Amino acid sequence: MGGTESISTGETSQDHLYRDAADKYGSALERLARAYEADLEKRRDLIQEIHFQLWRSFQRFDARCSTRTWIYRVAHHVAASHVLRERRTFSNLVNLEELETLPDKTQGQFAADQRMNLERLSALIQQLKPLDRQVIISYLEDMDAAAIGEITGLSSGNVAMRIHRIKNILARRFHEGGSHAE
Amino acid sequence: MTLEKIRRKVRELHAKTRRELLGNIAAPLAVVVFSGLGAAIFDDPPQRTAFALALAWALAGQYFLHRGMWSATLPGDAALTTGLEFYRREIERRRYLFRRVLKWSFGPMLLAIGALLLPIVTGGVRERGAFRNMIPFLTLLALWLVGFFVIRMRQHRELQREIEELNDIERENKR
Repeated sequence: MGGTESISTGETSQDHLYRDAADKYGSALERLARAYEADLEKRRDLIQEIHFQLWRSFQRFDARCSTRTWIYRVAHHVAASHVLRERRTFSNLVNLEELETLPDKTQGQFAADQRMNLERLSALIQQLKPLDRQVIISYLEDMDAAAIGEITGLSSGNVAMRIHRIKNILARRFHEGGSHAE
Repeated sequence: MTLEKIRRKVRELHAKTRRELLGNIAAPLAVVVFSGLGAAIFDDPPQRTAFALALAWALAGQYFLHRGMWSATLPGDAALTTGLEFYRREIERRRYLFRRVLKWSFGPMLLAIGALLLPIVTGGVRERGAFRNMIPFLTLLALWLVGFFVIRMRQHRELQREIEELNDIERENKR
């Protein structure tokens, strides 16, 4: 199925907005879904759900915030709902304090190549609670603290503090992983 | 994802909503039928009253339970709210539904089971053999009830903790 086949009801501005968003942010949304869902099948469903909700949301888009903020908010909302629905309990998710004390399950693996590092990073992010995930995912998409704050609702200072802590944890984990491999 | 696929998903969502609605009313409907039959069949007035109460409770529960369930905001409709607001709203909705399910769905079921069991148990006490035969069933029922409550309470505590964490984050935000 291509992207330009005829649609019986004709294209609306909602459709145009969605199509632009999907073209521009499609791969970013896939990265976002990867950080929320490890299972391939479920991830595919999550991506579909994000796209669907995004299309619905453009019916109400009034440019009160940037398109990027709008898209990420919808995507994170869908993903957070997905986490809550799938997990049912929070016992498997941790906040930053707990993450600092948790042993790294992937520590014994050789983490030299980039793909492996990416998997470790995804595994680490998947342990976080939705709000911290939103912060680090947005940061990895090169957003600054103000833009992340606009999406998450956290103050810039709070965002910066969380990024700093997550980066420290990641750096320590990767350093430990590297010295294990040597 | 193409627009054609999205339109198909809209149709699927409508079908799914209908299926979920039917799934959600299946258990209370069973309680309604069971209690209605109980009220009609049994002669004992207290037992009939208990069945009638369970019936009324289950019917009222349908209204109160579904009112909470269908007021949920879809993620696509909440793009003007931030991640923090949306997450808090979702958690609070979940906590609210937990309470509602206990009160309006589990409650009538328990009353209907109690209404059925009470005369059997009290009658069975007189006939010792019959009561002894029922012990395994009653034990399983008791275990199920305890297990249900323990799991529900744990989930409720986790939700409460999550809300407290969000409160802390909001306090940090204001600093």
